[in-house]
Parts: sequence; C-alpha cells; structure tokens
Amino acid sequence: MCGIIGYIGFRDAKGVLIESLKKLDYRGYDSAGVGIVDKKLKVFKEVGEIANVEKQIPQIKGTLGVGHTRWATHGAVTKENAHPHLSCDKKIAVVHNGIIENFQKLRDELKKKGHKFISQTDTEVIAHLIDDVYKKGNLEDAVVSALKKIEGSYAIAVVCEDEPGKLVGARKESPLLIGVGDNENFLASDIPAFLKYTNRVIYLDEGEICVLTKNSIKVFDKKKKEIKKKEEMITWDVKDAEKSGFDHFMLKEIYDQPDTVHQALRGRISEIENSIEFPDRVEKLLNSNLSSIQIVACGTSFYAGLVGKYLIENLTNIPVFVELASEYRYFGTRNESSLVIVITQSGETADTLAALREAKNSGCRTLVVTNVIGSTATRIADGYLLQQSGPEIGVAATKTFTSQIITLCLIALKISLLKNKLGSDELYNYIFHLKDLPRKIQQVLDRSDEIEKIAKYLKDAQSVFFIGRGINYPLSLEGALKLKEISYVHAEGFAAGELKHGPFALLTKHTPVVAIVTKDSTYYKMLANIGEVKARGPKVIAIAEDKDTEIESHADFVLRFPSDSPVLPCLSITVILQLLAYHVAKERGCPIDKPRNLAKSVTVE
Amino acid sequence: MKCVILAAGEGKRMHPLTFTRPKVMLPIAGKPLLEWNLLNARDAGLKKFIFVIGYKSEMVRNYFGDGKKWNVCIEYVNQGKALGTAHAIGMVENFVDDFIVLCGDTIFGKNDIKNILKKGTKIGLVEVENAGEYGIVELAGKKVVKIHEKMEEPFSNVINAGIYHFNKKIFYYIRITEKSPRGEFEITDSINMLVKKEKMEGVFLKEWRDVVYPWHLLDANEELLKKIDEKIEESVEKNVTIIGNVTVGKNSRILSGSYIEGPVIIGDDCKIGPNCYIRPYTSIGSGCHIGNACEVKNSIIMDNSNIPHQNYVGDSVIGQNCNLGAGSKVANLRLDKKNIKVVLNGKKLDTKRRKLGIIMGDNVQTGINSMMNVGTMIGNTVFIGPGTVLAGEIKPNTKMM
Repeated sequence: MCGIIGYIGFRDAKGVLIESLKKLDYRGYDSAGVGIVDKKLKVFKEVGEIANVEKQIPQIKGTLGVGHTRWATHGAVTKENAHPHLSCDKKIAVVHNGIIENFQKLRDELKKKGHKFISQTDTEVIAHLIDDVYKKGNLEDAVVSALKKIEGSYAIAVVCEDEPGKLVGARKESPLLIGVGDNENFLASDIPAFLKYTNRVIYLDEGEICVLTKNSIKVFDKKKKEIKKKEEMITWDVKDAEKSGFDHFMLKEIYDQPDTVHQALRGRISEIENSIEFPDRVEKLLNSNLSSIQIVACGTSFYAGLVGKYLIENLTNIPVFVELASEYRYFGTRNESSLVIVITQSGETADTLAALREAKNSGCRTLVVTNVIGSTATRIADGYLLQQSGPEIGVAATKTFTSQIITLCLIALKISLLKNKLGSDELYNYIFHLKDLPRKIQQVLDRSDEIEKIAKYLKDAQSVFFIGRGINYPLSLEGALKLKEISYVHAEGFAAGELKHGPFALLTKHTPVVAIVTKDSTYYKMLANIGEVKARGPKVIAIAEDKDTEIESHADFVLRFPSDSPVLPCLSITVILQLLAYHVAKERGCPIDKPRNLAKSVTVE
Repeated sequence: MKCVILAAGEGKRMHPLTFTRPKVMLPIAGKPLLEWNLLNARDAGLKKFIFVIGYKSEMVRNYFGDGKKWNVCIEYVNQGKALGTAHAIGMVENFVDDFIVLCGDTIFGKNDIKNILKKGTKIGLVEVENAGEYGIVELAGKKVVKIHEKMEEPFSNVINAGIYHFNKKIFYYIRITEKSPRGEFEITDSINMLVKKEKMEGVFLKEWRDVVYPWHLLDANEELLKKIDEKIEESVEKNVTIIGNVTVGKNSRILSGSYIEGPVIIGDDCKIGPNCYIRPYTSIGSGCHIGNACEVKNSIIMDNSNIPHQNYVGDSVIGQNCNLGAGSKVANLRLDKKNIKVVLNGKKLDTKRRKLGIIMGDNVQTGINSMMNVGTMIGNTVFIGPGTVLAGEIKPNTKMM
C-alpha cells in the first residue's frame, strides 16, 4: 500500500504536498518524495519519514506537484526506489500506488528503445511509457496510451514540466479520488490528504482518467470519452477522516479485510496459469526435502500458526509443530532438515527475532511471514513472504491475522504442489474459492447488526469461553484473545473435547460459551459438547453456517457465516469473532485502539 | 476592484452557536452577518467578491453560490488552516491587484465602504470606549504610524475597525510577517511593517458594529431592526394587532389574538399565534411557530424552531430546530438587577448587560416546565428533562434531567 497526492492551484505546492503526505502516512512510511513544477520540474526524495524529505526542499514557488509515501512491495527501500519516478529527459514525473504485473516485459522493451532506468520499481516503467509517446501539449493522450499497455493495478498522478497548468490522474483497482477546491484541485489516495482544504470529492471509477487544471476537472473513460461525474460532500471532519468515518481504527481495519485478503492473494495466485507463485528464494526453501515444519510466533501470530498447522498438515502430510517464540529460543529440538516458519507482523518482535536467530544458528532453514519489508526479520531469514496488508494501527491485530492465514494457506498449497500431492483440478478449485473470499467476508461484515445484539448480551459477563475442534480450536483461542485484550472481559479458548477434563468446574450459568460449529467430521461431537455445556446452565452462542438449521435447537443464539465456503471458512468466522470482541468493548466503553498495558509491536523480550 | 471578505473563522467566542455554523452565518435581523456585508459592499459599488472560507465552508458556499442572486460575482478561496488574518489575506495574492478587505464578522456601512474604496492604501478607524480590547491605531494626522495590539492602558480610543484598502505591496509584508505571541500571522503586524515604508491613510467610519460574544448579536439585531419598513405579504386573521414596523415573509400566517409590536421580522412559512405577544427587536427565522400564550421579546429565533405553548423567551438567542416544551421559560433579569455573568468555554464573563436570557445552540429540546436561568449557555443537541432548572454552561450532546 502506498499513498499518493497531486496538487494544482494557487498555494505553494510544497506545503500542501508535505502536509497531505503526512495525512497519508498510515498507508506506508518507509520512504517519500515530491515533484514540484516551478518552471522546471524539481524532485526531492528520501528514505524514512516524510519529515526527511521536507528538510531537503528549499523555498520553492511552484503551485503544481505530486507526492508519494511508500510502503515497499517491489524493490528495496532506497532513495532511488522512492517516488516520483521520471522520464529520461526528467520532464515527466509519476507517482503510483499499485502493482504493474508485466513491468519486466515492458522494461525490457523500453530499454531496447534506449530508455534508461534508474530504479528497480515497476512504477518507473509508467514514466518511460508516457515519455515514449508524449507529444507536447497532450499529456493526457500519452497517459491513456501508456496505460493501455499496462497490466495490473494502479492509481497514478502525473505532471509534466512542459504543461505547468495540468495534472493528470488515473486509476484501476487502487484508490484515487479528486478533491474539488476553489481555484485549486487535488488528487489523492484517500480523503484525509485534502480534507483541510475542501470537503467536496469526486470518486473515480475503475479505468477512469482525469485531467485537472486550477479551475476545471475533466474525467474520461478508457476510450477518452468524457464522463459527467457527481460531486459528493464529505461530512466527517479531519480527525474522523483518518479512520474513514469509522469510530476506531480497529473497526476500520476489520472492514478493510475484503481488500487486504485480496491484497494477500495478489500476484501469488494465477488463474490463467493455474499456479501459486512465490519469489524464487521462497520456492527453493519450500522445494527442499522437508522432514517437518516448525512454526514459531507470539500472540495472534502464534494462533495464525496453529491454523497454519491444520492447513499444512492437511494438504502436505508433513508434520507441523507450532512453538511460542519465547519458549522455542530456550527449549525444544532443532532439526536441520526441518523448515522454520517465523510469523511476525512487524518483523521486529523481539522474542520472535531471538527465536529466528536461534533457528538460523542451529542450521535450520528459515522463512519469515511478515507485513513489513526491510524489517529485521526479513534481513535475517533465508526467505520472506509479505502479507501485503498495509500498516495496522489498532493494537489488536485483525486484518494482519487473516492475511497471515492466507499466506500460510498459500504456503501449504505450494508445498503440496511441489510434492505432487495436489492435482490441477483441485488447485483450480482452491484458486477459484480463494478469489471468492473477499466477497464472503463482505457478507459477514454486512450482517454486523446481529453481532451487535449478542455483544449487548455479553458485555456484562464475568467470563466467556470459546470452544471449537480442529481448525476451529485456534480460532477459539484467537476469539478469546481478542475479547480479553480489548474489552477486559476474562475469556478462554478451549478445544471442545477438553472441557470435561477440567474447565467444566468453572462453568456456571453466568459463563456464556461461544461455540464454533462447522459441518465437518466433528459436527455431531460439537453438538454433543454444546449439550454438555447447556446441562450446566450457561447460554450458548453458536457460530454456524447459513444452511445449518439443526443448530438452532441446540444453541441459544446463532451467528451465521455464508455456506459454500469450502476453502478457509475460518476467515469468515474470524471476522465474526473480531466484530464480537469489538462491539463488546464498545458497549463497555473501553479504549479500543489502545488497550491498557499493551503495545502494537513488542520489541522487548 | 475586488472585495475580499474574511469568512473562515470558527468564532470560538460565539459558542455554542458556532458549534454548528461559521461565525459569518449567524443570522441578524433575518439575514446572515455576511449577507449584510455583501449587500452594503454591493451598494457601495463593488461587484466582484472573494470570500476566504474555512470552517464549515460548505454552509457559506451553499447559501451564496456564485452570487447571481445578489447580482454580484463571488469566488471562494479556502484558507485550509486557520493561521491568522495575514495568512487569510495572503491566500488571495494571485487573484487581486488593488482590493479592499472586510472582516466578515463585523458589519460595515455602505458609505464607509465607499470612502475606503477611494484611491490609496487605507484603513478604517472607529472610536470606542473599551479600546483596550482592540488594536489601537497611532496616528500622525491622517497617517497611520503604528497599530498597538490590546494595550492594558490605551493612550487613545481610536481602533482598527477591520476594513482595509490594499494594493499588491501588502503581500510582500505578509510573507515576511512572523507569528505573533498568540501563534497567528496577524495582518496588523504586516501593516506595521508596511507603514514604515508606505503611506496608509486612516479613515473614520460612521457605522460599525462588531459582534464578538453571542449577546452582541442582540445589540446588532436591534440596530438593524430599527431600519426596517413595514411589509406584510401574507394572511393576517381577524383580531391581530400589529404596531410599528413589522416584516412578515411568504406563506406565514398570523393567527387571531396575536399582538405584535415592531420592529419585528418574521421569516417565511411561519405560524404565529393564536394569542401570542411578540415584542420589539425580535427576529424570527423561517418555518417557526410561536404558539398560544407565548411571549417573545428582544430575541433571535433561528429557522424551524418552535416556541409553542405557554413560553416566555426574552433577550435570548435560540438556535435552529429547537423545541421548547409547554411551560418552558427563560429568566432574563436578576432580582438584584446586577449585570449578568455567563460561563463561556469554561470561563466566567461579565456580559455588561442587565438583561440577558439564554443562548441556545441548534437542535435543543426542552421538557415541560423546564426553567432556564439568566445567562444559561446551552450547547447544541441537548435534551432537557421536564421540570429541570438550568444555569451556567451546558455541554453539547448532553442530557439534563
């Protein structure tokens, strides 16, 4: 995820661009840059915070410019790779959010034509493509024809030194909107970037291209036919805007999940080639002779690891052991023929890093699943896979948990493929259903009012149990963790069969039990467990699929997720558990984004 | 020549009324403050306007649009961040040559604007009693020597009125203006640098009304209502008494038994009466209802608010979409006849008024027989339970039971 901004108007572009980028830094902050047209096009970029770029820019008068804050996906975090990217004559500047899938091919073609590339990014291709067909005075036509050659997703803003009265933008699958001002106009990835200056917005649709001047806005479709667009009024203020109108970052991030699931799959699954694609280093790691896999992580990542165990064992038959990082580094076995998969959202979790070093030192092959490129973990491990979920601000992990599960599922599929355990029909089926996941999650989000009702009931509970079997067991643990960390209600997750071996002693009619029931081989066992629970008085809240009619006679309340999810129904269930924890915490008036005693990235051991 | 009107301010000292609107949109005598300035400037001969907007800018834009309704041309510039008057004026650098600037929250007279329009750099001046609260202007003849901000012991009672005639040179001084001790870029600092090099003429104004605190709206309202004519477009039932100048808008009905003493302005689509008493210096917005056995005096009632049954409202400002329960009443005079003090934004202030009722924000509902003491400041969207006695400052979005 990256943030882009474009400005044309009467103010000094420098101030506007820098301030707007600061509002977008939640979309990424590993490097930043701006390009300002002040007679000549002048570009300033730097690694690190936006303030680092700000310091570089001298007093400069231009009132047209573009800016970018980066969250690296292609190419390392370096000054060269920071945006904006330029054409050979340094007259055209492009900022881009998205991924150009055929950039290698385009790059080779352009190089043959004599274009010189400075960075490793996919974006630079766009600048050269535009340059290739540019005729003075018609920047937008050059952009249109460049975009025709591009496969992938993009939101771009383009300026050209020879056309100082024009700002061109376009989008496909990445967000871009126009801020409509007075004698000025804006382009940005998100509303907070310009909300200080205007609250009138035009949302661009897929494939649209826009040309902004100081006091005009024209929007075109792919064929350059002009489209009439409607202006909309934003009613929230700047503070709300960073949460896109949601009350809390956590809720926003829960609602981001259809998109982040899509992002986690991006570039990894190919329907056309019916394959799972990973970087070469990772494929090599997975293609080696694996006697076993150890997954090492902390907190929510540990629970994602437990889910991963079920997925990998089920698809590959390779035994998987999941270890807590803080334990693994001191205890347990090391086996050189096993692969150690380390999961850490931030890539900086101290316990996990120590475990990772320990694994490497004892000769194990190591693979990191993380959200942050360039983090310490990615530098230590033999290979890494990015979750691609964008920065998470709420302390309670939500979208990063589901992205981790997706990534682990892809790892399981890949190993299975490499071991020839998965037929191409089966893989096709998986890919088909994986692609459908964002829609399934959206369906759950659309029904959140039922969850709110249950939350009102749970808010006064002293203690809540979560139970499940199989893959639903780690989900129970995660559901309990979410509830306790943000609502401060005591909660425990159990494997459903374990209740009778002890925890029953704690059950009273004041201990509601959340039971995750899926139509698998343990379905009737789960119904029996619910019966045992109810015999002791507690109310049971079942999480079950839409078509399950039998459950109603067993449970007191039922929360539903869509049927027909043969692949990863656990994601829909997770979203229900997250929403449940969120609404209980909200009912109880807890500080949801900043729970007491907790920090987002735990960099102490 | 273009006329720049500064209309970006929130007007924190106008809380609770400005929680829901910018200061310049506060209605006085049936029109927003800004409209009075627009009309006066237009009548002084100005046709091209630039409104510098910011806080809740859409309300200004939606009301004024491109200005055709007033036969003028209005452009807008959004200030973005409220960084002071110099910053606000700096916004229009690319749009003007020779121009005049009015503070949108002060009402200026037509003839005074005409005088300011005359050739040369000028500043409007007025003489006031409490000069210490304003910028005091030191003069040498007609020439401005220096503006002194908020002196404890003012040497003069001539103050900066908030209307200027500038040319392009001012922008140079704005650019080199530094932040004042209160953290803003102030145009007076820019002017102090300007007058060292250039001549700036002081022009004394004849009409000037600034509104700082909510109760000043009542003074401005009174002053403007004194000038209205009688104009009743719509139906008046039998047994209605109207004395003095009263203006009634379209589709408004005055029902039997109503007794109206002008000057009073009533907006469109109102239902007045039956059996109510409306006393001088009252402005009633559009879509309002003043019902049976209600008395309203020297007050501003904004659009779509009801004072429907057995109410007394005196020396008060009532926001939009408010509804008073039956028997809700407002006190407007201390029994010991002392000045009324209020609490505004947590600070106690002497209003220097002997009579003041309440200031009520938008969307307030009161229960039956609730009683509001002198100087009660009620935030927007407040629920007041039946029989509640209120005083002091009540925060927005609260319930008082």
